[in-house]
Amino acid sequence: MAAPVRLTVLGVARGWRRFEGPWTRRLGSRSLALAAAPSSSASPWRLLGALCLQRPPLVSKSLTPLQEEMKALLQQIEVERSLYSDHELRALDEAQQLAKKKSDLYGEEEDERNILLLQDLEDMWEQKFLQFKPGARITEADVKNDRTSLHRKLDRNLILLIKEKLGDQDVWMLPQAEWQPGETLRRTAERTLATLSENNMEAKFLGNAPCGHYKFKFPQAMRTESSLGAKIFFFKALLLTGDFFEAGKKGHHVWVSKEELGDYLKPKYLAQVRSFLLDL
Amino acid sequence: MRAEPLQKKKKVDPKKDQAAKERLKKRIRRLEKASQELVPIEDFITPVKFLNKARQRPPVELPFEENERRALLLKKWSLYKQCEHEMERGAIASLLEAQREALQELKLTAPELHAEATKRDPSLFPFERQGPDYTPPITNYQPPEGRYHDITKVYTQVEFKR
Repeated sequence: MAAPVRLTVLGVARGWRRFEGPWTRRLGSRSLALAAAPSSSASPWRLLGALCLQRPPLVSKSLTPLQEEMKALLQQIEVERSLYSDHELRALDEAQQLAKKKSDLYGEEEDERNILLLQDLEDMWEQKFLQFKPGARITEADVKNDRTSLHRKLDRNLILLIKEKLGDQDVWMLPQAEWQPGETLRRTAERTLATLSENNMEAKFLGNAPCGHYKFKFPQAMRTESSLGAKIFFFKALLLTGDFFEAGKKGHHVWVSKEELGDYLKPKYLAQVRSFLLDL
Repeated sequence: MRAEPLQKKKKVDPKKDQAAKERLKKRIRRLEKASQELVPIEDFITPVKFLNKARQRPPVELPFEENERRALLLKKWSLYKQCEHEMERGAIASLLEAQREALQELKLTAPELHAEATKRDPSLFPFERQGPDYTPPITNYQPPEGRYHDITKVYTQVEFKR
């Protein structure tokens, strides 16, 4: 059971850097030149299905200054080109009546009709609005920067990362599982989700096709006849409901947005993953 | 003993009935020929109260600086939107490229898995999801008591078969 290890082993990494040059410009491609074509009928690559679980945003993004200005301008233009509404007509009538009353020196009797002035109505509405407390757009998890919580960064897509032990290192990566013959790769990804969350999470898988891949070769020490390296295929899923159980999982999973991926993933893996993640 | 003579209506009866039926059918046909009243689109009919002249705002004379500021802002906005569109296009292109390469790899490694991956997924659509709001939902929210009175006008379109 040779666990897959990233290309951090120096010798192999230096070799691969030579190949990186002409291909860095192409988005997301890491074409490996296979040293020897696999001669055996069974492919020497091990297949892994990985899960790119995204929590979609709950809240819309805040507007940039330019967008705010544009919004104000559009509002102004709309008001200028509109007709008076009932509310505004009533305001104008009342203003006229008040002006009349002031200029009227005869001191006529007070009109008992309009006890409720428009201004009073507006004050009442204002009070009611202030009493309502909407949900906070910036949650406490944001303030504490608690990356294991799902309630952080409500306006971004959050992706699940898992820490696993490979060989002697702790590596952060997207949850993955080995492909077993007799199932499709998407089933592998679904299996990963089920085992990870102990059937607590529900996700909607976006199609049968993988959205990205990452392949690497094992370091020389770990290569055998039948396993030259591994290919990971990523499947996208949107989280509908559910979350991890708290017990026993601390420090092993993290929900991050696209910018924070760089803090956790290795560079080449990161480059591949970034290519299939939409930045909002 | 005093009985009325037997009324001999038998021959004329069916003819009268038939004539009555045909008159009815003719009326139905005339109604059909007359143009059908279609369901009115309420958005396209201006309510009469908005034609009142007292409702029109006095035209606003904007100062020169304000006009300049607006023109400049609109230009900046169009540039910003163009950049945004380009970025979105680039993002979508990179997404598609990544998927295409993944499928290529899969084809090289395992053709049967590739065949399964390129199948349609019937459970994907219809896919419904609530979009993001301005504020997140409040936990344990008690909505105020009350009832909805739905006053939308419902029209039924009667279809005449020709």
